[in-house]
Amino acid sequence: MAHLSLKSLTKVYPGNVTAVEAADLDVADGEFVVLVGPSGCGKSTMLRMIAGLERITSGTLKIDDKVVNDVEPGHRNIAMVFQNYALYPHMSVRRNMAYGLKNEGKPKAEIEARINEAAQMLRLTEYLDRKPRQLSGGQRQRVAMGRAIVRQPAVFLFDEPLSNLDAKLRTELRAELKALHDRLRGTFVYVTHDQVEAMSLADRIVVMNAGRIEQIGAPIALYSRPETRFVAEFIGSPAMNFVEGVLGEGGAVLVSEGREVLQFDRPIGLAGSGFVVGLRPEHMKPSKGGFARLRFRRVFDEQLGADTLIHGTLDSGPTRVILRVDGALHLPDAERLEVGVAREHLHLFDPKTGLRIDT
Amino acid sequence: MVENRPLANILTHAVLILGVFFLCFPVWMALVASTHGPEAMARAPIPLWFGDQGLANYREILSGGVAHAGGVPVGKMMLNSLLMALGITFGKIAVSLLAAFAIVYFRFPFRMGFFWMIFVTLMLPVEVRILPTYDVMVKLGMLNTWSGLIVPLIASATATFLFRQFFLTIPDELVEAARIDRAGPMRFFWDILLPLSRTNIAAIFIILFIYGWNQYLWPLIITNDEDLYTVVMGISRMVNAGESRPVWHLIMATSVLAMLPPVLVVLAMQRLFVKGLVETEK
Repeated sequence: MAHLSLKSLTKVYPGNVTAVEAADLDVADGEFVVLVGPSGCGKSTMLRMIAGLERITSGTLKIDDKVVNDVEPGHRNIAMVFQNYALYPHMSVRRNMAYGLKNEGKPKAEIEARINEAAQMLRLTEYLDRKPRQLSGGQRQRVAMGRAIVRQPAVFLFDEPLSNLDAKLRTELRAELKALHDRLRGTFVYVTHDQVEAMSLADRIVVMNAGRIEQIGAPIALYSRPETRFVAEFIGSPAMNFVEGVLGEGGAVLVSEGREVLQFDRPIGLAGSGFVVGLRPEHMKPSKGGFARLRFRRVFDEQLGADTLIHGTLDSGPTRVILRVDGALHLPDAERLEVGVAREHLHLFDPKTGLRIDT
Repeated sequence: MVENRPLANILTHAVLILGVFFLCFPVWMALVASTHGPEAMARAPIPLWFGDQGLANYREILSGGVAHAGGVPVGKMMLNSLLMALGITFGKIAVSLLAAFAIVYFRFPFRMGFFWMIFVTLMLPVEVRILPTYDVMVKLGMLNTWSGLIVPLIASATATFLFRQFFLTIPDELVEAARIDRAGPMRFFWDILLPLSRTNIAAIFIILFIYGWNQYLWPLIITNDEDLYTVVMGISRMVNAGESRPVWHLIMATSVLAMLPPVLVVLAMQRLFVKGLVETEK
């Protein structure tokens, strides 16, 4: 078990393409950290730098206070689980798991013991003598996890391990992974583009965008206090709605292109020209009350059972807005709705820098 | 495609049967001729069915050797051919596996340059470079040696290219997983790349074995020592036996024997061969 530390880690590809720019991150012993972001944000590159599969352009990477920038992947005391499993197709499950230990020169009896323990943990005992191609996707990924577990590494690395599985299996394996972490108390670094996965698994989430770390924090902190507009939009599903405008008439109304888009109970007490107001779909209530109110033009409903998503736009303009209401709630069949949002659920951002503005 | 046109069916079958006939007739003739006495082949009409001399003919070539061909027993020549063919095959596979491994998995200066240099030699048949190669062999004193017979034929652009194409289909993650599992380059090669290439190696083995077995020109010029004669050379010497009449019954018996090893190799490795050509196991 170990502590992992990244100091202004940078990766520049030939042709001056910066994939990761000066990333700072400390992962505590036994912590489950998830790197999340859209494709091309540099999260995988960062993981691969930690693994040693990608050369570090500048900055330092420490595992247990030892700089490992130039250490071969096999000697970094890490193990990795890949998206497409990357099992050795010609080896049985047992030999797949044993391979790394054999290369380390561990005695046979110990290898056997570790494999049996891992297989039991992952419910793979009866499959130990099968070849990977005789296993289902979920089983293959469990084998890949087993291959990582038997190494007893300081840091476990996961590169979108659930992305190749179907939705049901993904949910199952997600729970298993969480249980596995609780049991091993290992240091996990996990990459995904799926924010639901990130939210449910992580002790801390690292949101990345265009090669930079946008925000690091506990899942609930990212959800309730996103530091940037990007994080606000990325975390939460369906994504947060944004209404842009300038404050008018004493600061109690938001105006866009000469039309009122949002009314507040009282002035929000902020100077400045323009604002982006973020409103989560689940916090928008179809009622006349609420601190902030807007008029909503309904286009269509999407009934998901537990919830209903109401798609539409602002009554005053083309800005798209989604409402998420209780599936049992019967709304009048009206095209226009009054929607209210409580004070604590308003998120304000600077339209130029995208940074959060505290009120 | 489902079609039902009787005329087209008959036509295609006729063409195919004709093709089979043209392909098989010489082999049939060789088999038949090898069972007749010396006179039968020189007389019209040439027999189309087996004679009764078969056993005697085969015994003669296997034990004594044919005087016109230098008296080297066919058995000895077959063994020579086998050694040469196997040497060429294993050598080619080893060299081209390593070359492809280097080209695909290592970053070194002029990597693509080397690849294209290897590739360009595909366009030069052995005959074109035979004189310079011979010159090199003379200067190295490798005339009439096993290595002189085998080594110049070992470099193979075709096999290198095929292995390269196969290695390129192996997912990068597998290489990365091996690196994380502390496998160095050669260990990766032995433990992972080689087992995965099994079917490809089998396919290439067949092709190269037949290529090696059928070598004629190079053994002909590099050897004049009878201990190194190959069976293909032997057949040719029997045919061009100077003044005396060619002994067709013995030549044909030798030919039949010379056909056997390639046929056996194909039969034995057929399953792997087809697998290697059609499927990539990942």
